Amino acid sequence: MARTVTHQVPLGSSPVMAKQLKPRTNSVNGPLRILIATSLVGLAFLAIATQLVRLAFHGQFQITTTLNQAVAESFARADIVDRNGRLLASDVEAHSLFADPAHVLDRDEVVEKLSAIFPDLDQDQLRADLANRKRRFVWIKRGISPRTAQRVHNLGLPGLSFRRELRRVYPGGKLAGHVLGHVNVDNKGMAGIERYLDEVVGVEAVHGATLAERAPVRLSLDIGVQHAVEDELRASMKRYQAKGVAGLVLDIETGEVLGSASLPDIDPTTPTMSLQPARLDKIASSTFELGSVFKTVTAAMALDAGLVTPETVFDVREPLTAGRYTIKDQHPAARPLTVAEIFIHSSNVGAGMMALEAGPQRFQAFLKRLDLTEPIKTEAGPVAAPRLPENWHKAETITASYGHGLAVAPLQFAAAVGALLNGGDRIVPTFIKPQPDAEKKRDAVISAETSAEVRALMRRNVTDRYGTGKRAAVPGYPVGGKTGTAEIPGSGGYRKDAVIASFISAFPMNKPKYLVFVLLFEPKPTGAAGGEVLAALNAAPTAGRIIARIGPILSVPPTGVTALGTARASFDAIATAKYETQ
Amino acid sequence: MRILMLAAVALSISSACLLYGLSYDTRLLQARVRAQEQAIDLAHRDIAVLKAERAHLGRPARIAPLARAQGLGPASEHQLTGSPAAALASVLAETRRRSASVVQGN
Repeated sequence: MARTVTHQVPLGSSPVMAKQLKPRTNSVNGPLRILIATSLVGLAFLAIATQLVRLAFHGQFQITTTLNQAVAESFARADIVDRNGRLLASDVEAHSLFADPAHVLDRDEVVEKLSAIFPDLDQDQLRADLANRKRRFVWIKRGISPRTAQRVHNLGLPGLSFRRELRRVYPGGKLAGHVLGHVNVDNKGMAGIERYLDEVVGVEAVHGATLAERAPVRLSLDIGVQHAVEDELRASMKRYQAKGVAGLVLDIETGEVLGSASLPDIDPTTPTMSLQPARLDKIASSTFELGSVFKTVTAAMALDAGLVTPETVFDVREPLTAGRYTIKDQHPAARPLTVAEIFIHSSNVGAGMMALEAGPQRFQAFLKRLDLTEPIKTEAGPVAAPRLPENWHKAETITASYGHGLAVAPLQFAAAVGALLNGGDRIVPTFIKPQPDAEKKRDAVISAETSAEVRALMRRNVTDRYGTGKRAAVPGYPVGGKTGTAEIPGSGGYRKDAVIASFISAFPMNKPKYLVFVLLFEPKPTGAAGGEVLAALNAAPTAGRIIARIGPILSVPPTGVTALGTARASFDAIATAKYETQ
Repeated sequence: MRILMLAAVALSISSACLLYGLSYDTRLLQARVRAQEQAIDLAHRDIAVLKAERAHLGRPARIAPLARAQGLGPASEHQLTGSPAAALASVLAETRRRSASVVQGN
């Protein structure tokens, strides 16, 4: 059993104990120390927390911007598709080559070897850029293919690196180049629908190659129609040796543009092409004195005002005079003509007489009602503003009646004529496919009766044996239209040797749905046009060929065997088999 | 009191271990998520390239000459009938005509 020994030590006898038991002189020392220690620990935590917050708010950006500061952010864009969902423009990943001059060992070697891969590289500029060692970032080539990037990588040159970026691609090549517009090197929209994406739809600023998650933008264009228009215009440009051609297909019920082409065309991947004057978009970016196609407007005005009927007779045998000007027809009629005949024979005198009957005020008011006096804008950009006479007197009224002395963009004019043909409803041209449930407000510019009369005039101009538009006739399709051969203004008056030959047409004329407008700029009197430059011999047949091609694409069946508006026509199996077995 | 202190220390150590484990698992999951996101991103980019390639190969400028070489062209009025019944009647008549000519040939 353990024994417990207890030593009785007198209090204060041991020196240690004596020290321990020494009475405290300051009773608050203990809590003070704890307070100080706690404060120190707290301050340490506070310092750490402050540092963390600072890093969270500032540190991250400082890290990422060291190299990227010189690199503008790129933009991820939505795809652009046609009305049927076929791709017209999209973003894909591409490599961009840059250099860090501080890490480049041999400048000359870099320049020499890269020039072998990129023959268009500006060697002097690159050498100068690489010489500046303070710069830490120099772009060398952006948007290169993976294969080229691999070739550069295989060179093994220090100081060169790649960034992944988004590049805009246009799978259709030059197809609808003017409408689509282009983007700059940072993938930012600069013109056309691409600019509309930036301004209205929205794009996402990104670093690297992050694709946009936006829904594609659906255009009103139909790739098939667009190609047919471009193809036929290209053939006509060659056939009639024209300096340029332009064409437009418009849905005159909705205002949707189904095809719009202007040749020489542009490649959206080469933006500098659009700066060449010859490659300007002749449909929307330029205005022209369109000539006799304008008689459609003049006739509609006179008919709608109740001043004339298609059977009203005008004596057009004598020239018209206005001040020092004399207006006469190229082939004066030997007898008075009705309004319908004036339209068919394209009599300038007759058109002038109709305009004078209405008067300048009424004429101007009618042009205003058709939106031909103010600039308009589409999703593809602003349309060139109309150029009108400063003072409207007798001479201006007469010349305007047959499309001279005032200039409008073909797109704006087509929309006005579309309104004259669709029953009289104003249409606003658009390049975006409207939502199916979009409300359509009726805004009448002329009466339905006048519209029917204008349709009849245009149809007769194609069916009549003397009609200037008879070469636009297409088997199976009721086409109507009006020709125009306008001399181009030059220094000191109109040039006799240079014309704009145009044909504005619509089909099917029993209930017009589509308007086709064709313009040939400075065509030559080739054998294909009978040695003439008249629109009746070049623009009208071109429009006919376009209609023959786009009719089936637009589900407008030829009317030879079945009435329009009845049950859907079926393909004849035998005829189809004939094509399949060939 | 001592027991309580020891228990608290043990609890702290075990919770630290648990926290480390959770943190480690989270980092692993985070890495997996990042890998998945990268895979999705890559797939998106590949799809974008394939879409563009398909559109490029199917562009009308390329298809039109091929179609014409095959004898295809825009639908003409000869290929259309008013109704399926008329189309069928046309096929039957043509078949009968061909059969008759074959019989006569024999």
